[in-house]
Amino acid sequence: MSNAALDYRRRIPRLARPSVAASPSLIRWTLRTVTLVLFGAATAIGVDLGTSAPEISPASVVQHDVMSADR
Amino acid sequence: MRPLGPTATTLVVVLYVGAALAVLQGFLGGGPPIQFGVSLVAHVTGMAAGYGAAVMLILMSRAPWLEHGVGADRLARWHAWAGPLVIMLTLVHAIAAMAAWADASSLDLVAAMKDVLNLPGLMTALVGTAILMLIGFASLRAVRRRISYARWHLLHLLVYLAVGLGFAHQLAGPDLAGRQWLQIAWALLYTYAFALVLRWRVFQPLFQLWRHRLRVEDVRQESADVISVLMSGEHLDELRAQPGHFFRWRFLTRETWHLAYPFSLSAPPTRNRLRITVWARGAGTRRLFQIPRGTLVFAEGPYGAITSRRVRRPRVLLIAGGVGITPMRALFEVIDLPGKDITLVYRASTVQDLVLKHELDEIAERSGARVVYLVGPSTDAENDMSAHALNRIVGDLSDHDVYLCASPRLAARVRDSLMDGGFPRHQLHEERFSF
Repeated sequence: MSNAALDYRRRIPRLARPSVAASPSLIRWTLRTVTLVLFGAATAIGVDLGTSAPEISPASVVQHDVMSADR
Repeated sequence: MRPLGPTATTLVVVLYVGAALAVLQGFLGGGPPIQFGVSLVAHVTGMAAGYGAAVMLILMSRAPWLEHGVGADRLARWHAWAGPLVIMLTLVHAIAAMAAWADASSLDLVAAMKDVLNLPGLMTALVGTAILMLIGFASLRAVRRRISYARWHLLHLLVYLAVGLGFAHQLAGPDLAGRQWLQIAWALLYTYAFALVLRWRVFQPLFQLWRHRLRVEDVRQESADVISVLMSGEHLDELRAQPGHFFRWRFLTRETWHLAYPFSLSAPPTRNRLRITVWARGAGTRRLFQIPRGTLVFAEGPYGAITSRRVRRPRVLLIAGGVGITPMRALFEVIDLPGKDITLVYRASTVQDLVLKHELDEIAERSGARVVYLVGPSTDAENDMSAHALNRIVGDLSDHDVYLCASPRLAARVRDSLMDGGFPRHQLHEERFSF
């Protein structure tokens, strides 16, 4: 990455710089929505990971303990 | 130690209850019985390490309610204390689990290790553990001194990978497997922790970069080792930054983009300008002397709690040592009290070390506040910064709010002296950092 590439005035296309100024309240609501979506996604992924997790541990030291106690 | 506020107190209680539940859930029914001995050690340390890793992520997520409610300095201290503990617990868990497996399978340790590593999720967990060990080793004081902050910081970022690699093993581990509500709760703990990190350490600074377009406007040499960096941007009032706040600054040049420097504002922020003052203390900070004008700045913040909002008493004493003057300089200009009964005590080894002196003198002259310079060896009686000496300077010290920012050693000396002298703890405001 060169210093010149980091100078947005020269390198970032004009499209990335909105010509209409966003109001602070629009910005606030956008950020809140982003937060909500992010945590919504985190909830969905968390529940999915939890429900699809193994029912029997492949690495169950406990089961080995129980088995060896039974022997 | 300053008293815990309501946010910090609630957090501590929640974290301890969570830790107790995580460690004890194996005994609370619903799961297979746990044998005492080395197997029990493996279970308890495994759960504690897994829980601790998620808590570390949350504490370092830079969420504003944590940074403002608990304090960045306290969070960093908790992290420095609990981080090595989590690594130790992980290591003990790995050894104990291996020993328990070897015992239960009547195998030697090497054969048991081969056996275990064939199980799903265990190889990634091993890689994660190895990364944690490496980070722990690099953080040992003797090793840390030999590597640059930049290298250490980059290495430290691998912790996210290590935690992710260990996650699959945790969900499939014998403590959680088969207990779906626990598996869901555990998975949510981790996904929320990563969401917090993503929200506040990635999205927020990117958003601020886009919204404020902060760039270096000027770099001014204050002395041989000190520069001020003036940055300009748009809509900076929306940041709600105040004198006393600090940001973590990332200057986007080839040499410095990977370094996040925590520096306080050294002047009150305006709608389109921010200023920091930097003391070169190593190769990393020295690089900032060559920052070209126009460089984009990626800023995380504002953080910190030593703002003028804390003033409760009719008089204010600001104590600065060395480069600790930066937040005090900004505060000195804005703390507005009837009669302007404000005193700034500024300690430095030499006159050349008194950075921003001309600005301080100007503010004092304009506002009627007082600046006292204590210059020279600390052994000199006139440079005494004990509570007794400070009381002599300002008169009736107990009627003051005291703001303190200095090197760790000087700050500890002043703090201890104030506490020994019976100064009320809640009237002392400081943020403690050591870089």
